[in-house]
Amino acid sequence: MSRRRVAAITVRILQQFRRDRRTLALLFGAPLIILGLLGYLLRGGGSVPKIGVVNEDSGPLGQLVAASIERSQTVSAAGMSLSKADAGVKNGDLGGYLLLPSDFTAVARQSHLVEPLVRLEGSQPGLSGTILQALSQSFATLAAQVPGTAAIRFAPQVTYRYGGPGFDTLDYFGAAFIGLVVFFLVFVITAVAFLRERGQGTLERLMASPLRRPEIVLGYMLGFSVLALVQAVEVLTFSLVVLHVHNTGNIGLIFLLEALMAIAAVNLGIFLSMFARTEFQAVQFIPLVIVPQMLLAGIIFPVSTEPGALQVVSHVLPLTYAVNGMRDIMIKGADLSWSSLQLDFGVMLGFCVLVIVAGTATLRRRIA
Amino acid sequence: MSELAIDVDQVTKRFGDLTALDAVTLRVPRGQVYGLLGPNGSGKTTLIRALVGLIAPDSGTVSVLGHRMPELNVLGRIGYMTQQAALYPDLSVKENVRFFAAISGGESRVREALDFVDLWPRRASVVSTLSGGMRTRCSLACALVHGPDLLLLDEPTVGVDPQLRIQLWDRFQRMAAEGTSIIVSSHVMDEAERCDRLGLIRLGHLLAEGSVKQLKEMAHVDRLEDAFIKLSEEKAL
Repeated sequence: MSRRRVAAITVRILQQFRRDRRTLALLFGAPLIILGLLGYLLRGGGSVPKIGVVNEDSGPLGQLVAASIERSQTVSAAGMSLSKADAGVKNGDLGGYLLLPSDFTAVARQSHLVEPLVRLEGSQPGLSGTILQALSQSFATLAAQVPGTAAIRFAPQVTYRYGGPGFDTLDYFGAAFIGLVVFFLVFVITAVAFLRERGQGTLERLMASPLRRPEIVLGYMLGFSVLALVQAVEVLTFSLVVLHVHNTGNIGLIFLLEALMAIAAVNLGIFLSMFARTEFQAVQFIPLVIVPQMLLAGIIFPVSTEPGALQVVSHVLPLTYAVNGMRDIMIKGADLSWSSLQLDFGVMLGFCVLVIVAGTATLRRRIA
Repeated sequence: MSELAIDVDQVTKRFGDLTALDAVTLRVPRGQVYGLLGPNGSGKTTLIRALVGLIAPDSGTVSVLGHRMPELNVLGRIGYMTQQAALYPDLSVKENVRFFAAISGGESRVREALDFVDLWPRRASVVSTLSGGMRTRCSLACALVHGPDLLLLDEPTVGVDPQLRIQLWDRFQRMAAEGTSIIVSSHVMDEAERCDRLGLIRLGHLLAEGSVKQLKEMAHVDRLEDAFIKLSEEKAL
């Protein structure tokens, strides 16, 4: 082995990077951005799960329990009426609510057992666990502090608005990932394919032909959409039939939303490829475009638990709506009569139009 | 109808500090094989790109087949063969030609185009498996499949074997005789001798223009190569 030859290769690689400022910026900038984002997300004082407390107890214990839970650090609890709590759980504003019935104090005194009704939103297994744990802790704290309550056992009757006790993490993530797998793969493949068109000179040839720019973009969109839709069918079938991901919604609606995500991905790929010169640079969009969306679109961490500033960013990302829509359909059985789903579809449709127009506008006929 | 295939008037194009075309004026009548002769980096490709509307001149005007460029409707009457064999490597020869035929309106002439470049027997071969010369021929077939009125060929015979090169030039001349105007760039002198007229380009300047005979007489030399060198020196470039 020749050290000189090995050194020649090493030096050559470093020389190449010296002239590729963009790659250097990515190499040293992207990790800080991604880790910084993750740090802020996890330690930025994000809000805790919100729950409602419906206190109908005519005796003193309900008041004590409610006050104890409202002091909890792990959940944000607020007293409210049953109808408001029900509505909050249905639309996802609340992670759940605790119902203390009118005979709560009387039953507790008599049987030394409290069985409040805990109604959980249920679509996020992690969140449900946090809420139940917070309730148990609050009650334990109360039992330790208030004389005469130590002997009372806490055995909440838990019911779920969506999902259920058998609802697991895969059910929660699966609903989001069915669309995301298609979105990310199609985005990368389209961006790289469009750059190949540029790199191999065929784009120049297309530009010197009677083709109009919208014809190129539309042709690309349709071609890749065919592949993306076949992929969407494959992903959906695998998820439902093999993985048994929880689904209570209309499969046609799931497919429609997946299709919108695929069309958006194709056109985002075309649009962003205009800002890269090589396939290598196109691949660099992955950490910049995809990773922040993975963190902020509510895929892993619910948007409602993010720090306030990040929630603003999340609400601008189209993927947030796509993910929310997929979960609403699959976990909550939402249909197009739901205003939240109308919003999700509307945002995705709007985003598709935006990237189609942007892709067409940035595709220049002239190369200089 | 304009009698000129191309009409380039005082065209200047700069890329940063580099002046790729410097006040170039060139008029080529229809039905000729016109050669742009010059070394690499002289401005031939820039001029061809300006003709096809891919480059906007900083000043001056470009008209092709009587239309001021860029004009989308004229592009269907132009065949453009890029210097690099711009093809889809994962498609077969025939699929490539058929694609360019479909976007330019020449679906019925695929066989004819492939016969022209002697690639019909290799029509099913995937382009990535072809030699450089075959790719060049396939690229040429893509450029002429729609029967254009004007064919712009940027170094069309690079990598093509001598025998086929002779055949291709015979066919260019036959196409010109049938009314197709052909602008062909080259840095090979013996190829240039086969053009009806030549424009000698160096460092973005059109040094001289005329038939091969006229250029030799202009420089008082017997060889085109010598004429090019002498005319370059005379222009003190």
